[in-house]
Amino acid sequence: MTPEIIGGWLLVALVASIFVGFPIAFTLIILGLGFGYWGFGDTVFHLLLFQTFATMKEQTLAQVPLFIFMGLLLERAGLMERLFLVMQKMFGGLNGSLYLSAMFVATLFGAASGIAGASVTLLGIMAARSMDRSKYDVRLSAGIITSGGTLGILIPPSVMLVVMGPVMGVPVTDLYAGALIPGVMLAAMYAAYALIRCYLNPSLGPALPPEERAASVSSTLIEFAKGMIPISVLLMCSLGAILGGVATPTEGAALGAFGSLTLVILYRRLTWPLLYNSVLKTIEVSCMILFLVAASNFFGGVFSRLGTPEVLSQALLSLELNKYVILLIIMAAIFLLAWPLEWVPIVLIFVPIVLPMVKQLGFDMTWFAILIAVNLQTAWLSPPVALSAYFLKGVAPQWQLSDIYMGMLQFMMIQLVGLALVMAFPQLVLWLPGVLYGK
Amino acid sequence: MSIESGRVVRVIRGIDAISDWSGRIACWLVLPLIFVMTWEIANRYLIKPTYWAFDLSYMLYGALFMLGAAYTLHRGSHIRTDFLYQKWPVKVQAWVDAFCYLVLFFPGIAIFFWLSVDWALLSWQRQEKAMASAWMPPLYPLKSVLPVALALLLLQGMAEFLKCVHAIRTGAWLTKQRSIEEALADELPSEGNTK
Repeated sequence: MTPEIIGGWLLVALVASIFVGFPIAFTLIILGLGFGYWGFGDTVFHLLLFQTFATMKEQTLAQVPLFIFMGLLLERAGLMERLFLVMQKMFGGLNGSLYLSAMFVATLFGAASGIAGASVTLLGIMAARSMDRSKYDVRLSAGIITSGGTLGILIPPSVMLVVMGPVMGVPVTDLYAGALIPGVMLAAMYAAYALIRCYLNPSLGPALPPEERAASVSSTLIEFAKGMIPISVLLMCSLGAILGGVATPTEGAALGAFGSLTLVILYRRLTWPLLYNSVLKTIEVSCMILFLVAASNFFGGVFSRLGTPEVLSQALLSLELNKYVILLIIMAAIFLLAWPLEWVPIVLIFVPIVLPMVKQLGFDMTWFAILIAVNLQTAWLSPPVALSAYFLKGVAPQWQLSDIYMGMLQFMMIQLVGLALVMAFPQLVLWLPGVLYGK
Repeated sequence: MSIESGRVVRVIRGIDAISDWSGRIACWLVLPLIFVMTWEIANRYLIKPTYWAFDLSYMLYGALFMLGAAYTLHRGSHIRTDFLYQKWPVKVQAWVDAFCYLVLFFPGIAIFFWLSVDWALLSWQRQEKAMASAWMPPLYPLKSVLPVALALLLLQGMAEFLKCVHAIRTGAWLTKQRSIEEALADELPSEGNTK
């Protein structure tokens, strides 16, 4: 049996064991060892140690724990609630103002932190009650909260893009710059959709009663400035410093984490349990991502050494399909895979399999990476598999699950339109990295 | 509960406690990681870049996530695909898991552990240094992290296997599994409460 065929069996065994439901990292290690030994003998043992240690030394991945820690602290600093309240007062006279405020806060905090800055849970706690009290449409509210709460993982900086960078062989800074415009564009599309529907049918998002609006313009502006300053500083520390070339991505992440810690102390929110719980949750979530990254790097090493990805891509290329048809097939496959799988195994296992083919077709790697990221974002809005629905239900128990589903579905459609736009106009991705880094 | 299964539960609780504490100690590495990097940026713009921050940062990060492996397993948080699994009755889940631990977990992680012990020892014997760096820090402390982390992971794997045995006998799980979103969303249990 040739090594390529052994690699094919390896893939079959992997798919079978993934769907059994055992932790994927352990499966990757034993399958890599077994099939690697079968394919090329003792070398596989060195490969295991080498690849694991390479992952442990991959300094850009240090962003993962830093951003997770930052996100956890930021959630608890109470900055978001303040800003949301001010926004609410400022735009109270406008139909659907709460939709706008929630999306604005979610986008801003997504751009400051590397995981969903304002998670679905947090956004739900913050906005759901105000939306109920103001007789807002449940479906539209649920859609705004779930889409806003998951958008942060796409808006740079982003842990997902950090993991994707080494896989695609693209600098993380390029991915950050590339994801910025699509991310902001999606946020704008979400908000515009909600506002237009409210304009057409004001009962979906009635204006707030006068007593909940701003008393005077000047006092609101001062409040707004107070709410914006801390988050703007954080934004400059992390994303600003990274895109501006002042700091490496890892340094930017550390600066952001340091800034969040300082803010929590300044706002007198720092308690021992808060700090302890945050560091402890940081190690758990970092490890669930990074241990799988290490195992996948080993597995990927075995797999490509067996030569199977090349053979697969040759076979698919020999079908002589139009390259955009192949791209569409890959995107459809990722969309479907994202239902049962989390983003980590898709990025780490599926993407490397199709990568040689995508490279041969001559697609731009940065653009392809952002397409995948936008595509994966849709999965967080696809009921009934997306967990976002259940988190929202958890903090807004008065809302029917079916209404939450219907709301998410509408925003998933917008997301698909966004994906189509990014596919049709690669400049949406490529323009900013070109300006910043001259490529 | 029979005396024998009471003993099994005590062993499980004991190992869970060890893994729990490994996580509760290792998690603090994130703070020096933040401070080292921040110090580096401040120094670069105020005085001159440090020669040690880069090496220290990957060492702290590498140790952080590796040493978290056992803790994460204990918390049921290693990424898995449970859309079929969650629909099965507890006893089927337990049989499948027990089989997977025997076939997929123990052989791979045991070989990995055994390899990493030799590899770390060799690094100590040679007093290996990071040659690509101006600081040339010793590499053996970071390399030693791997066998330690894998030993803890193996131990926790035994506890997980025993949990399967327990679930097969009693029809109920002692602990539950989590996804990334759930791990981020749920509040941590108070100390000693692993349920």
